[in-house]
Amino acid sequence: MSERSPIIPREAVDRSFAKQGPKQYTLWVDIEHCIGCNACTMACKAENNTPVGVDYNRVIEIEEGTFRDARKKPEVGVTFVPMPCMHCGRPACQAACPVGAITKRKKDGIVLINKDKCIGCRYCAWACPYGAPQFNPEARIMEKCTLCVHRIEKGQLPACVNTCPAKVRFFGELNELTPLMREKQARTLNITVSGADTNPSVRYTTTR
Amino acid sequence: METVNSMDMGAKIRPQMPAGVEHGLCSRFRTTKSHCTSCAVVCPVPGAVRFAEQGAEFTDACVGCGACASACPNGAIRLEKNDPQLAERIRSRVRPGEAFRVACPRAEGKVDLVLPCLSRLTEALLLEPIRGGAARVELLDPGCSGCGLNTAAPQWERALFLAQALCESAGFTASRVGRVQVSVGEPQEIRKASESPNPRRAMFRAIAQKWKETVTVVATETGQKPAEAFRDAVQRHHGNPKRTDLLQVLSALPGAEARSKSLIASGLPLADVEVGIQCVGCNVCETLCPVGALRHREANGVYALDFSPALCTGCRVCEAACFYQAIHIRETVELSVLFNQPSVTLISAPRQTCRACRESFLGKASEFCPSCLASGDRRESIARRFFLGGNQSDQL
Repeated sequence: MSERSPIIPREAVDRSFAKQGPKQYTLWVDIEHCIGCNACTMACKAENNTPVGVDYNRVIEIEEGTFRDARKKPEVGVTFVPMPCMHCGRPACQAACPVGAITKRKKDGIVLINKDKCIGCRYCAWACPYGAPQFNPEARIMEKCTLCVHRIEKGQLPACVNTCPAKVRFFGELNELTPLMREKQARTLNITVSGADTNPSVRYTTTR
Repeated sequence: METVNSMDMGAKIRPQMPAGVEHGLCSRFRTTKSHCTSCAVVCPVPGAVRFAEQGAEFTDACVGCGACASACPNGAIRLEKNDPQLAERIRSRVRPGEAFRVACPRAEGKVDLVLPCLSRLTEALLLEPIRGGAARVELLDPGCSGCGLNTAAPQWERALFLAQALCESAGFTASRVGRVQVSVGEPQEIRKASESPNPRRAMFRAIAQKWKETVTVVATETGQKPAEAFRDAVQRHHGNPKRTDLLQVLSALPGAEARSKSLIASGLPLADVEVGIQCVGCNVCETLCPVGALRHREANGVYALDFSPALCTGCRVCEAACFYQAIHIRETVELSVLFNQPSVTLISAPRQTCRACRESFLGKASEFCPSCLASGDRRESIARRFFLGGNQSDQL
């Protein structure tokens, strides 16, 4: 196993802060240091063998500020936000699916699509506020980020976390990640959408 | 076919469950959003019906009264003595021009047919004697309140109500199907002399029949197929055996003239469906409809959704499944559709091709399909909103 960002062992973490709740594996992205190289996107595509146009993980570029006066120092910036599936606490996709193909696993909180049941109606894509479910035109079913469940079960890290050259993606159990995020003394952003209270589990931190 | 050892086969003959379920027709199997409890509410035995992933299931507690089979709008529940067999028996006992009397084992009086419970009767079976030429059908009602199967009583009252309405719609008086209050006692079955065949021959025939059934059962069990994926299973539309029987009976009613009669749809196994402008042509209603009452056709880039009201059972699967809530069940239902079996076009709209994903959709509002509008814009606008404007405002 690689040295960087390992699966955080339970005993190594001060759990006094941890809010007890159902177990939830999730990602934590330090967008302060994300360089927007899209290595996670490509690692995900290679790992899950997705066709062109189907991306489980996308990196959104956000440009800030304006640059009008050439004599002044430009106050502009760019932020990269990698957006995988948020593995929500109350998934909107699960509620929308007419055939019950989407389940949130009790043991680790991962939201998965059952490929045998999915009829490819795209209701989950219409319902998801984060645009996570993707229609695979080859198989004519919906697919989305599984948090690399096949790798996790073997004790490996998700492909995106393993690849990240800037080491800004972390994988772990939500309650155990929380104290680590506090140690960084960074602002935690929870990308919740007003009106769609889905309780997303993926966390972002930034100092700005 | 492989040879079957008779000893092995004997071990494989198990007591058959009184009721089995054709899962493809069960609303709960078609969509997890269905809250259909038609079978469970009439079931007199607590714990006999349970709902699992495969839809309704029957446990060993089932006593085989048949109320659920009559209550299921989609005809998903099979009984060992199925409707055609029972209809055959009714036809053989009808005396033309006279009243046909049906009773349960608690009723007093002379009757033509004794059933384990009156709730076994479907609308088709209630109208079967009239088709055979009987003057009227009488249900002997000893009062269900003292009976152990009394939770099934609303079912036969419902079937009776619908049969009466169908009589009116066919141009008869509603009193051709009715109930007669009788006292509690022992019914005496009138049998025609011709109806008692050679008992020895009947016994051998029954044994041969049982043998044949068992051989086919064993053969299918040994050649096990891999379980079919739900995705493929849901694409097949089974015929609704209950509705097929009813339509057959109605088309063969002597002297029937279809008249317009509308009823309140709630509680009836019939429905009239309408589609609003929100429809995007996703075809989920057609895919999930258990009985195949909805069909789409496409010609010259125009999408049309056809509906057969005579097949619709009002199971509300389409209404529960539709994402944009475009499809609705009307409050009233017209009974004459069962006689003339029309086909209605619910919606007809040109299809557009999405500029982003090249998939087709309905609607003229934009050049992008709802899926692309949702996902493409969303990722970006959400991310933007949170980093620039915070959680409060949408303005950029």
